[in-house]
Amino acid sequence: MRSGPVARIGWAVLLTVLYLFLLAPVIIVFIESFDTSTYLRFPPQGFSLEPYRQVFANPDFQAGLKVSAVTAATTTLLALLCGVPAALALTRLRFRGRGAVEAAFLSPLLVPNIVLGLALLILFAPIPLTDTYWGLILAHLGVTIPYVVRTVTAALAGADPRAEEAAATLGAGPFTVFRRVTLPAIRPGLFSGGIIAFLLSFDETVISLFVSGHTVRPLPVAVLQYVEYRSDPSIAALSVCLVLLSVVAVVLVERGLGLRRSLRP
Amino acid sequence: MADQPAAPARAGYLRLAGLTKVFPGEGGPQGAAVAGIDLEVAHGELLAVLGPSGCGKSTTLRMIAGLIEPSAGTVEVGGRDITRLPVHRRDMGVVFQSYALFPHLDVFRNVAFGLEMRKTAKSEVRTRVARALDLVRLGHLGDRRVSQLSGGQQQRVALARALVIEPAVLLLDEPLSNLDAQLRGAMRDEIRRIHDETGITTVFVTHDQREALSMADRVAVMNAGRVEQLGTPEEVYERPSGRFTAEFVGRANLLPGTVTATHGAGGGAGAEVAIPGLGTVRATGDAVTPEGRATVMLRPHRITLRAAGKADAGPRGTVLSAGYSGEVIGYRVRAAHDGPELEVEHPAGAGTAFGPGAEVLIGWDDAAPRLVADDGDPA
Ligand SMILES: Nc1ncnc2c1ncn2[C@@H]1O[C@H](COP(=O)(O)OP(=O)(O)OP(=O)(O)O)[C@@H](O)[C@H]1O
Ligand SMILES: [Mg+2]
Repeated sequence: MRSGPVARIGWAVLLTVLYLFLLAPVIIVFIESFDTSTYLRFPPQGFSLEPYRQVFANPDFQAGLKVSAVTAATTTLLALLCGVPAALALTRLRFRGRGAVEAAFLSPLLVPNIVLGLALLILFAPIPLTDTYWGLILAHLGVTIPYVVRTVTAALAGADPRAEEAAATLGAGPFTVFRRVTLPAIRPGLFSGGIIAFLLSFDETVISLFVSGHTVRPLPVAVLQYVEYRSDPSIAALSVCLVLLSVVAVVLVERGLGLRRSLRP
Repeated sequence: MADQPAAPARAGYLRLAGLTKVFPGEGGPQGAAVAGIDLEVAHGELLAVLGPSGCGKSTTLRMIAGLIEPSAGTVEVGGRDITRLPVHRRDMGVVFQSYALFPHLDVFRNVAFGLEMRKTAKSEVRTRVARALDLVRLGHLGDRRVSQLSGGQQQRVALARALVIEPAVLLLDEPLSNLDAQLRGAMRDEIRRIHDETGITTVFVTHDQREALSMADRVAVMNAGRVEQLGTPEEVYERPSGRFTAEFVGRANLLPGTVTATHGAGGGAGAEVAIPGLGTVRATGDAVTPEGRATVMLRPHRITLRAAGKADAGPRGTVLSAGYSGEVIGYRVRAAHDGPELEVEHPAGAGTAFGPGAEVLIGWDDAAPRLVADDGDPA
């Protein structure tokens, strides 16, 4: 598209304003995270690393971090273990009711999390799975598997089924074909799917609120309960840490996708 | 097929018996994709399967390889029924039309794949892969990524990958169709040379009649899921069994007429056929209907045209059009005034060239006319 200098400056201004608008909360939180005051207010009163020290010293946050990390890691692993075969079946097999199965796998995306959370609470309470790791992981699987199925399905669509057939004619059994031919082809998709699943689980708050309790309380729920009573710069510091985690993950996903692109001839 | 259930010393190394595939949702007026194929390929033979697009060539090949389960019929190799054997235990080398190389492996590792599956010792893998790459003249490119190869090179990697395992049967599905004309000619010779060097029983699928005729020991002409004719290249070209083969394998003038006399029997059978506009034509073959009708095939390059003088006897015609295509001039000629339209090919540069409207005398090689069964199935 050809455009004059005025139009170009106009675009630049518009984009800058848009970015500032999107980034403003992050910037403000970042500045606030070094404040010396005892409650959140802008502009900050001074500069210190005390809020960060408080975050890492807080036993609730420590416990929450552990719960979230364990939950997210286990959820990611299980989501991949369920999602990959599902995606394989959906792309490589022709069977009756394939559309229905596909819809079933993606349907949790259509249900509001608050409804899912409530439903899971009703389901889990009598078992009892509430306030347990497995309850939390099961709940998170519901929202992460659809994403894994999606990313892996997209990756499989780009892989050549003829190469799998060629491997079979050369003497590779079904599992070897998967390990030696399919897996390398979809690795970037798996990688992105896994990181997205990890982030979703790590950030998941609404459903976790319903199914978690005092013993197994993930970080977002711990944070929510903390800010119910107080709001001080350590919350800002914690937010900065979480943002950094997400940024690192997104960069990794980008790398994964970039890798996939470079594999294409 | 139903005779002698345990016949010893079978001629066919690869045997297909009643091989049929009906895809789900198919089976309308078109019938099955593959409708009962009986075929025997001798040990060390190169068989070409030739047919138009959609006639079931790939489906047949994929059933032999085990990639598609037949709806009926059997596949046998060396007297052993392998119809239910899974793909990876069949010991067949397959070269796909799209090559289907492994994009994440280099050339060497692509070719080595089948040997690794067979747990061949490392040192042996190295020597055998090197030998296979030399065979396809790619010895110097072992460490290239496959994405850095040209189409022809990729095709040869696919061939080496299938050959290196020394399979019982080598299956090639239109491996040359993605190549340009020159490379295709070279690869044609290359595949024939490799076949002669290795002696592997080979089935080669193509829709290019020149490819089939020039490479194969025998050709199976397929149409609509069936084998129309099976024979040597010369047989299917010179003595096609029916209209379909005559028109698909090379070009043909098919001229219906009335039989005035028959003579001989078997291989020496022949008949005289009165064809409007051409007079009486002596043809070989025995495809005569009970009503005394027959169809004579005349290949365009076996018809000759001469400038017609007033006094000349013999069938005459008028040139309708002339088309120059380098090696030959293709004419369309109307025999007599209301006779059939003939396709004629003359070598360019030899003899006189005729323009549209020219009056010509039509002649032909005495051995050329051939009776062809008219199966009423124009190609
Ligand atoms: N997986 C499939 N499902 C349904 N029908 C199929 C399938 N594969 C092939 N067919 C049909 O079977 C018929 C034969 O197909 P096949 O691929 O064997 O043809 P072909 O002779 O190899 O043609 P081409 O020269 O175009 O490759 C076609 O009518 C095709 O539409
Ligand atoms: Mg085909």
